[in-house]
Amino acid sequence: MPHITQSITQAGPQLDLFVSPSEPRIKALLAAGKQLPALVKIRGLVDTGASGACIDLGCLVALDLSPTGRVAILTPSTGGQAHNCNQYDIQLLIPHPNGNYLRIPSLPIIESNLKAPQGIDALIGRDVLSRCLFVYDGGANIFSLAF
Amino acid sequence: MEGPIFGDSLTCGPSMALEKELKTYQEQPPKLLQNEGRYILIHEDTVAGVYDTYPDALKAGYEKYGLKSFLVKEIEAIEQIQYFTRDLAPCPT
Repeated sequence: MPHITQSITQAGPQLDLFVSPSEPRIKALLAAGKQLPALVKIRGLVDTGASGACIDLGCLVALDLSPTGRVAILTPSTGGQAHNCNQYDIQLLIPHPNGNYLRIPSLPIIESNLKAPQGIDALIGRDVLSRCLFVYDGGANIFSLAF
Repeated sequence: MEGPIFGDSLTCGPSMALEKELKTYQEQPPKLLQNEGRYILIHEDTVAGVYDTYPDALKAGYEKYGLKSFLVKEIEAIEQIQYFTRDLAPCPT
């Protein structure tokens, strides 16, 4: 089972990953004769307190996506009242140094403002972790993600 | 039971995308709940189908509608909320 092990930064367990339009959207773009956007490299924070993956709007702009869903979210600042957020469909790639990678061809991802207030491009939530083994070794200050 | 059962119980921000599709979803009759846990595909006021998985519904959406707007939504009797312990700003768009 390929795995990556990295140091835990001050901001937490972060790793580089890539996003692109979802596989079905790529096929639709090709069928429409559109140019495919380049893969976007982002920095994601593994967050077991996040139900699902979410991404900063700025990272989505380059992918030229349209929302295909809307979900209700509850966060500490929503005061007990759910707020609706747009959801997009992306392809997520978590690379491994040996060339393997975890590829999720169609992943719903929630749009948010993360970069400016928190310096994060994306949260890797439990929807992604459900496909991995995540080990957080605080004593050694490392984390591992196996997939 | 008559009439739609999917009330809009959630706070909505300003005008957002997929308004037509979400309205269509909310107007669906209760029998749709027989498909709870599956995914509905809606384009404007047309229900294009119900699918077992999110990838299946998404694939069908792009095959049927290309780059036009469409909604893929899990069918739920009670709208599930996604929780975040980290604070997130409200949807920017």
